Amino acid sequence: MSLSGLSRASLSAAKAGRFVPILKSLIWIAAFLLLVELIVVALGIRPYYLPRPSAIAAAFLATPQAYLLSMWRTLLETVIGFVAGSLFGVAMGVLFHRWTLLRELFFPLFVVSQTIPVIAFGAVVVLWFGNTLLAKAVIAFYISFLPVTVNALLGFATVDPRQVALMRSFGAKEGQILRRLYLPAALPQIFVALKLASSLSLIGAIVGEWFGDTTGLGVLLLQAMYNENVVGIWVTIVASACLGIGLYGAVSKAERRIVFWGAEQ
Amino acid sequence: MSPVTASSNARRISRGFAGAFLLAAIWELSVRGFNLPAYVLPSVSSIITGMFADAGKLADAARFTAAEALTGYLLGCVIGIAVAVGVSMVPRTRSAVMSVATAINSVPVVAYSPLVLLWFGIGMTSKIVMVAVAVSFTVFLSTIAGLDRIDRKSIDLVRSFGAGRMAVLWRLRLPTALPLIIAGMRVSTVRSVIVAIVTEMLGAYGGLGWVIYQAVLQIDFVQVWAAIIVASAISLCFFGVISFIEQRYIFWR
Repeated sequence: MSLSGLSRASLSAAKAGRFVPILKSLIWIAAFLLLVELIVVALGIRPYYLPRPSAIAAAFLATPQAYLLSMWRTLLETVIGFVAGSLFGVAMGVLFHRWTLLRELFFPLFVVSQTIPVIAFGAVVVLWFGNTLLAKAVIAFYISFLPVTVNALLGFATVDPRQVALMRSFGAKEGQILRRLYLPAALPQIFVALKLASSLSLIGAIVGEWFGDTTGLGVLLLQAMYNENVVGIWVTIVASACLGIGLYGAVSKAERRIVFWGAEQ
Repeated sequence: MSPVTASSNARRISRGFAGAFLLAAIWELSVRGFNLPAYVLPSVSSIITGMFADAGKLADAARFTAAEALTGYLLGCVIGIAVAVGVSMVPRTRSAVMSVATAINSVPVVAYSPLVLLWFGIGMTSKIVMVAVAVSFTVFLSTIAGLDRIDRKSIDLVRSFGAGRMAVLWRLRLPTALPLIIAGMRVSTVRSVIVAIVTEMLGAYGGLGWVIYQAVLQIDFVQVWAAIIVASAISLCFFGVISFIEQRYIFWR
């Protein structure tokens, strides 16, 4: 009884311990915003260069619908591209790990493909798929799969061959070895890449929208730029930061759940 | 390098080229076989011919973009390393700087492009600023990670021999951190070229991004692909140079 009470107390303490750093950064950010507000007012900086943080918040509250709709659209593109990119990335990791010849032939090309500026490729993709949600998702996919492949390969390489031999000697099939041994061993590494891929696919989605669309954060950015609406640009910047943080947080949360034996924290 | 790794390296390189040729052959054959129009996918041979035809224009654009990327890259590396060293020298500023850096860094970097274009105009300055921003965060984070790796006991030991703060930084902290700093710099190379091109597409007087944008407007996809190939070639060279420096001079990792 007292033991369970104790463990519960320590559990809630641990929980509070996790929130303290978050609270601390929130206070820092609030202090920073306040400082910016004061500096802008005190030095009389024109909104063209730096609008007051309160003006940015007001601009969002004036037309929240437009921003929320755009965020939703960009989120959809990002998530579709991210999920497809992650699955493809892991699948490629498995293929490249299983067949060395395939890896030696094509892995360098995969790496080279990432030096292609995504926006140039975007022009081609929009031509192929039309100006649709799918085209943006394809760009997000393209920009996000490689880190996953690289880290999956790294993770697979850490598996002890003796463990594979042991499982084989018990008659395990290839699929079972993959599911029971290789994937769990590589998961911590894969999640490191997934966190990176989540921010990359958001970049892909935003850049993809620059080729002309009606909604989305990338569209809002361009419209605000052409109208020299600096406050609008800032609202969109904050909105994309929120999306980025949200995605990253979601992947981190999934990581803590799935990789409970957690090598990375 | 032992002969075994040399021969396996040679095999890897030859396989890599074989893969590239295989891809080029499949590309060429499928374009010719299915008779794809150039705006869907131009053939490899027509892209290469196009590159030679526009060699002067592409070379000018490449110089323009490379100058922007390189200037921004150097600036970004200096800022990133300097801020990280400053934070590690004055630990009290750490949580404030890290929070602000994380907040700024959580914005997808391309979202800053319109703002920077408005602030700095559509000349070279805006691209240099964008590249510097993108590079400095990566380098800052890897430098901080590198400086954190140091063992407290080694610092105490060096200090007990009478080393001052600067000596500790110069003789101990930076050499320990250097492998990670260089790793961050290596990752940033490709990023710097891409960010320069992305910003050029939104507005510029020249450069590969500008060439690509013009070519898209004229539906000249041979030129788009030619510019893409030049851009990747620049990134690869840049990446190769930093990797070479890393392998040559960071012998103690």
